[in-house]
Amino acid sequence: MLKKKESEAPAFTANGLPIDRSIKIVKSKAAKREEVKRNLVAYSFIAPNFIGFAIFTLVPIVFAFALAFLNWNGNTEMTWAGLDNFKYIFTNEMFLASLKNTFVYTIGTVPLTLVVALFLAIVLNQKIRGRNFFRTVSFFPYVGSLVAITAVWNMLFNPSMGPINEILIRLGVEDPPRWIADNDWAMFTIVLFSVWKYMGYYMVIYLAGLQGINTELYEAASIDGVNTWQKFWYVTLPQLRNTTFFILIMLTIQCFKVYDIVYMLAGAGSGALSQATTVLVYEIYNSAFRYWRLGVASAEALVLFAIVLVVTIVQFKLDKE
Amino acid sequence: MKKALALLLVALISLSAVFAGGSSESADDGKTTLTWAIWDYATTPYYDALIDAYEASHPDVNVEVIDLGSADYQTALQIQLSGGGSEFDVVAVKDIPGYNNLVKAGLLADLTPLAERDGIDTSLYGGIVEQVTVDGKFYELPFRSDFWVLFYNKDLFDAAGVPYPTNDMTFEEYDALARQMTSGSGASKVYGAHYHTWRSAIQLFGILDGKHQITDGGDYSYLKPYYEMALAQQADGIVQDYATLKTSNIHYSGVFYNESVAMMNMGSWYIATLIAANNDGTSDAENWGIVKYPHAEGVEPGTTLGTITALAIPSGTDQSEEAWDFVKFVCGEEGAKALAGTGNFPALTNDDINNIIAATPGFPTDEASKEALNVAQLYLEMPLHDKSAEIEVVLNEFHDQIMTGNMSVDEGLAEMGRRVDEVLAN
Repeated sequence: MLKKKESEAPAFTANGLPIDRSIKIVKSKAAKREEVKRNLVAYSFIAPNFIGFAIFTLVPIVFAFALAFLNWNGNTEMTWAGLDNFKYIFTNEMFLASLKNTFVYTIGTVPLTLVVALFLAIVLNQKIRGRNFFRTVSFFPYVGSLVAITAVWNMLFNPSMGPINEILIRLGVEDPPRWIADNDWAMFTIVLFSVWKYMGYYMVIYLAGLQGINTELYEAASIDGVNTWQKFWYVTLPQLRNTTFFILIMLTIQCFKVYDIVYMLAGAGSGALSQATTVLVYEIYNSAFRYWRLGVASAEALVLFAIVLVVTIVQFKLDKE
Repeated sequence: MKKALALLLVALISLSAVFAGGSSESADDGKTTLTWAIWDYATTPYYDALIDAYEASHPDVNVEVIDLGSADYQTALQIQLSGGGSEFDVVAVKDIPGYNNLVKAGLLADLTPLAERDGIDTSLYGGIVEQVTVDGKFYELPFRSDFWVLFYNKDLFDAAGVPYPTNDMTFEEYDALARQMTSGSGASKVYGAHYHTWRSAIQLFGILDGKHQITDGGDYSYLKPYYEMALAQQADGIVQDYATLKTSNIHYSGVFYNESVAMMNMGSWYIATLIAANNDGTSDAENWGIVKYPHAEGVEPGTTLGTITALAIPSGTDQSEEAWDFVKFVCGEEGAKALAGTGNFPALTNDDINNIIAATPGFPTDEASKEALNVAQLYLEMPLHDKSAEIEVVLNEFHDQIMTGNMSVDEGLAEMGRRVDEVLAN
């Protein structure tokens, strides 16, 4: 992208004079010194933030790359492991299960959240009564404390005493799902929760996107005599493309990093996630701080990194068509 | 791209190595200050009792505590100790997997030579020291030891006209009693028994015959009768549903306090909690008793499982002699008495100590409850094993799968064996 910009740089100055790139400006020593000084001042302003970033983010990331190929328990000597850590994790059933669960969670959550958020945004962009109230209602799950709302969800979805199953039984469902306690329903319940929690936040982003659409486009469409559905399909959706792309990337990364929601919903009672609900980040934590196999944990983290990297690159490529 | 949380934490460890500054412990007025790592300081009365007793006999020492919280105590402790720059002189060790991790990482000082030098009689700890010995060396001394007993609510038994449980019950008798005691429905329902969601509450019935180690892997079919008993009780409404307890995060103390269970198997730590709850009115179960754990045919009554809480000295401390003196005190006779005075069970036990506990105000006055304190044989909930942390995860996983009905007992136990074998092989 950068190169492209350079080649497109204007060949004229602001007042219309041609720029001759063949002329080289020879700077005097004083000017050079001045420039160095100016740079140093600039760097010194960046320094506090950068030093913090380097110590707490950059070094650890580089270190993690190295650790993935070592055996280390945090205190005794490191030994070379080569690819052993990777071989180990790809034969470890809990890790493979966590990989699968994380993908299922992401594939379930991302499209659903996108659709629900867009739907809410379009509905709440209309001039309807109590619009602000409903916007607040939709946004509330996002700002609510996770600990509190997961406790409420766990009560609602309690397999034997919860009101949801009570209602289902009243409605004539013979054998209602046991939700989070059931291997087959657990991930679904977590996806449901995530969609509910995140929809409000992404709705707000979509609302901003909707309000940025030029109304003239709709007027032109009306003159052409298109119906509401066509307006949505040919005007709204294309105009929201950048917003959708942004949400898609953010949401996907967020989903791959999921940990807190799953742990609070499925693990709060026992302090551990089962094979049906375990996710990547939880396995990384377990390897690092329950088993103290920091090399294995780093290898797992690298896998997570690689997945997020690939998914993001693919999304960028697709966005450019 | 955001890296995972774990990476940052890993980084913090390495940083702690970089910035590990030795904390200076030279106190003012010439006093020695010992720093002790513990958890749940505010809700545990015995820390102060032990410290007060020690400071009274050692006026030149000042013991300070640092509370690392209970939920991830072992993790927090190990991070602090890694790199050798912590300020701790003495640390409490919460569980066996945590102890194993610390020993493997070389973070604890070997206590064997010190104990030999000072003539510590390790046989007084009922075989526990032997169970935490690695390659002929031990790195912790237990000061507290808890064992599982059966709590029961006397008022509920009186109301039902059923005789109390006894100190010599087989599992069949226990099961029959639980069924007999179940009554009512809705809010007034009384459950005959109660199993907390921990695997130890059911799984470890199976190891009381002393023939199996839970860490052995392979064939776990010896656990089958106990899972079948518990699942049948669950299906018949004799005990509360495991999945419900788990998803609603119900604490075992509450169900006993509000008199909705007649019997509950639980560790002896609950005695002090229950007495305190009865005193401040949190609990309605004022009239309670304890009896020995039920046992399989041919197993001696009083055979039970236990957990220990121990003290260790970090290898990085520069006050190891002072720390050792404190460890000797807390784990020894004087510490045991101070601990027993708060209704807790010292690892060092004898009749004197049991008498102190039985004399605690609020402890049941019947003979059977006092007799229940005599342990015939104690098996650790989790024996020391190089892979104990990983095995623990597998055991929990399939306990959960069986109890939630996601797997049949046979399936679950077979998978449990296969997966433990896998951990052992790696």
